[in-house]
Amino acid sequence: MVKKVVLLGAFCITMLGAEEVQNVYERNCIPCHRYAPASLEKLFMVYLKTYSGELSLKGALKAFLKNPTESDSLMNNTFIENFSVKDKTTLTDKELDEAIDTYWELYDVRKKLK
Amino acid sequence: MLVSKNKGTSLLRSSEKRSLLRFLALYFILVTMILLLLGIFYYQSQEKLMFSNQRTILSNYANRQVKALKQLHSNFPHRTIYPRSIKYRSAIYDIEGNEIFSLLKHDNIRFDKEIYRVGNSIQFLKTLDDYYLGTKYLFIEVDEDKSWYKETMSNILAFGTLTLIVLIIFGLFFVSIFLRPMRNSIMLLDDFIKDTTHELNTPISAILANIEMMDTSVMSPRNAKRLSRINIAAKTVSHLYQDLTYLTLSHNRESKDEWIDMKQLIGDRVEYFAILAGSKKITFELDLKESAIFIDGVKIARVLDNLISNAIKYNKRNGKIFITLRKSYLQVQDTGIGIKSKKVQDIFERYTRFNSSEGGFGIGLNIVKSIIDEYNLQISVESVIDVGTTIRIDFTKGTLDG
Repeated sequence: MVKKVVLLGAFCITMLGAEEVQNVYERNCIPCHRYAPASLEKLFMVYLKTYSGELSLKGALKAFLKNPTESDSLMNNTFIENFSVKDKTTLTDKELDEAIDTYWELYDVRKKLK
Repeated sequence: MLVSKNKGTSLLRSSEKRSLLRFLALYFILVTMILLLLGIFYYQSQEKLMFSNQRTILSNYANRQVKALKQLHSNFPHRTIYPRSIKYRSAIYDIEGNEIFSLLKHDNIRFDKEIYRVGNSIQFLKTLDDYYLGTKYLFIEVDEDKSWYKETMSNILAFGTLTLIVLIIFGLFFVSIFLRPMRNSIMLLDDFIKDTTHELNTPISAILANIEMMDTSVMSPRNAKRLSRINIAAKTVSHLYQDLTYLTLSHNRESKDEWIDMKQLIGDRVEYFAILAGSKKITFELDLKESAIFIDGVKIARVLDNLISNAIKYNKRNGKIFITLRKSYLQVQDTGIGIKSKKVQDIFERYTRFNSSEGGFGIGLNIVKSIIDEYNLQISVESVIDVGTTIRIDFTKGTLDG
């Protein structure tokens, strides 16, 4: 009986820990984009090719996520016709900044170029 | 004291020399500045030409690099090796001016110029429209080929020097043309004085010799006084004659240097000028110590005569003349009208007079200066208006007698 209680306790702690490790980006971005035809990495390269700098990219992305329009979207027309423009984000500004920072850190080309 | 002679005399007056040197210095500076400016323009044009040639080459390199970046962007992150070349080095910067990747030797890049020099390298900037890997600014760097620089500098030096020499020769030619009228007028005056001098010798000698022979003891005081005036006038003319003779003839005469007892010579000359000084009630105060210098007797007598004569001429009535002789210097001080400080430096110029109200040609101190310079002696003048003038001659060069 005691053994069962200990095992249950350990499972709960592990689950709670796993929930805490996931950040805003992982919780709010990855789940949807997992099923999108263009990966987040490919999208990052499109953004990078369009906006070049860190501040420009982050600013443009944040503005788009808060108020997504067809004209601001970097996706091609076929993509938009099939999937339409995404909904407005429900995240707060702070959460949005955190998610975008994580996204930048993850795919920043400076760290990868050799 | 033995004094060494300086025979380096010139036909030009020192004021002419000054003007000539000033003109030449000004001309030289002006010509050098013009040549320097031309050199700078030439250098800049050559530099532009070099940049123009380099721009074509570097632009091709940049296009090649953009293609490579485009390829890398589409294959990223499967391929992450930055494209390199043995012909050039490159760097990429984002729109905010932050470095993305760099292989440059010099990091002090410029975003405001298309092509420029950094150290021994040339950097070329290309701005991209599509920001592959985030690249807004692409820099291409190559080592500078210095051959154009060496060729340009050697051209500037060679042509600059040659032109400078030619222009200086032209300058000297122009100066000689400008100075010719001035020199001609001086030569005309010299010739006139020379011709007149010849005619003065016999009558002056006759007057002075006859005055010496006359017995004043048998004359009435009034006649004796008149004779004294004639004596003064004749001596004044004689003094002028001797100056003019020295000026026009003695320059070519060989000097006969000997040991001159300065104390005795001063005594003689003071006695000679006593009557002239007496006419203005001027008294001499002598403070003489033993001194001897190795010099031409006629020349040092001209120096003394002119100093004493001026001290009398420009003194006030009832004034004094202090003559001080020491082993190493002679000083003549008067209590006269003085000279303005800005005119002091010009008093040794020929035909310059302290005061136009007094007679004379203004040649006395010019003779003094020429003799002083010939024997490398030092002369200094101090003067205060309405107090007096002090002229000092230092026998500083050579060795002491005994």
